[in-house]
Amino acid sequence: MKTEVKRWLETGIVDVFLGYKRMMNHPLPYCFVKADLEAVDDLITGPARYSLEKIATHIASVRPDLKIGMLARDCNQRALNVLFIWNQLSPDQVKTVNVNCCPSNLKQHGDCSYLEPEKAGTYKQRVGLGKALDPQAVEEFSPQERLSRWMYEFQKCIKCYGCRNICPVCFCKACSLENKELIGTGALPPEAPIFHLVRAVHMAGRCIDCGLCEDACPVDIPLRSLYRKVNEIVVAVFDYETGSRPDQSPFSVLGDTVALEPKPI
Amino acid sequence: MQCKLVPSVCSYCGTGCGILFEVIDGRIHSTLPMKTHPVNEGKLCIKGWNLHEHVNSDLRLKQPLVKTYGRFIKADWDEAIQITAERFREIIAKYGPDAIGILVSAKITNEENYLAQKFARAAIGTNNVDHCARL
Repeated sequence: MKTEVKRWLETGIVDVFLGYKRMMNHPLPYCFVKADLEAVDDLITGPARYSLEKIATHIASVRPDLKIGMLARDCNQRALNVLFIWNQLSPDQVKTVNVNCCPSNLKQHGDCSYLEPEKAGTYKQRVGLGKALDPQAVEEFSPQERLSRWMYEFQKCIKCYGCRNICPVCFCKACSLENKELIGTGALPPEAPIFHLVRAVHMAGRCIDCGLCEDACPVDIPLRSLYRKVNEIVVAVFDYETGSRPDQSPFSVLGDTVALEPKPI
Repeated sequence: MQCKLVPSVCSYCGTGCGILFEVIDGRIHSTLPMKTHPVNEGKLCIKGWNLHEHVNSDLRLKQPLVKTYGRFIKADWDEAIQITAERFREIIAKYGPDAIGILVSAKITNEENYLAQKFARAAIGTNNVDHCARL
């Protein structure tokens, strides 16, 4: 892989390559360039997971002419598909080296919550909702109990906007979560459940279930289950698996044609 | 094109969350939490997430301002420090050193806080030292 990345940089197949490198004993994202090819020897694939594609969109926003190479796990690949659909990156501009979600053969991966959902504590189990639950597991509770459990989770929110900031597919310049007309300002926790539901609705056809939002949430709100439910509806209505293919999203208003019709009933 | 991810420590409070600055062509583009940092484990509060904003803000003060006839006038550091020292001397001579208090901050480092209290005690001669977290 290192030889291949070196070759890409040397021959100009890519101008920059986003991967990871150990710095100050932390596995951190690193931007490899042709001018410093020797650094590629330190390229690693994990274990920490950052949204490299988000960094790529930032690079593209400054220098749209650059060709960007990056390491891509499954979630990165899905996020790239969504970013291509929404014209944040162009498929000709990005070249990926696909890597296994698990950096070791023993599948010891401490960071990806998709593979190792954190077990909820006893109190959370009693009154709240655990991480990375499937919508079906949540729906086993009665509607009343489900509401009270969700409200318990939402009312912990400290409105850090971390879920939005870390999200690889959140790129809008104007965000509804900061719209004073939609969401009241100045109060903590933010208006529940409207704050979270506004974000959930916007995740329809966008969320690629990478789980970075849940990882970044300081109060462990099971955001992933919420967005999974939203995208379950998208699959049911439009037969559209978000991020699985670089097609037009059903919610895109750009262009003259309707890209995806609702699924025949 | 230069893109660097610079590890640092959040300067907003004393917790010491690990952060990463995304620097593209010399401009801090965004702030990320450091996933493997033992303090924050990939999480940040709203202040940490917006650390880059005050660096890039147009309203950021980049040089000292001296209040002259009720208006803030731009000055250079030598001039500003000279004026401050003179006024400190005047106040100490007139009202004594306890007329001065030093307020330190969580936004500066431990060592800078140490220097500030040392300055209060040794140079000014007062025990009036307090911290922004108690204001």
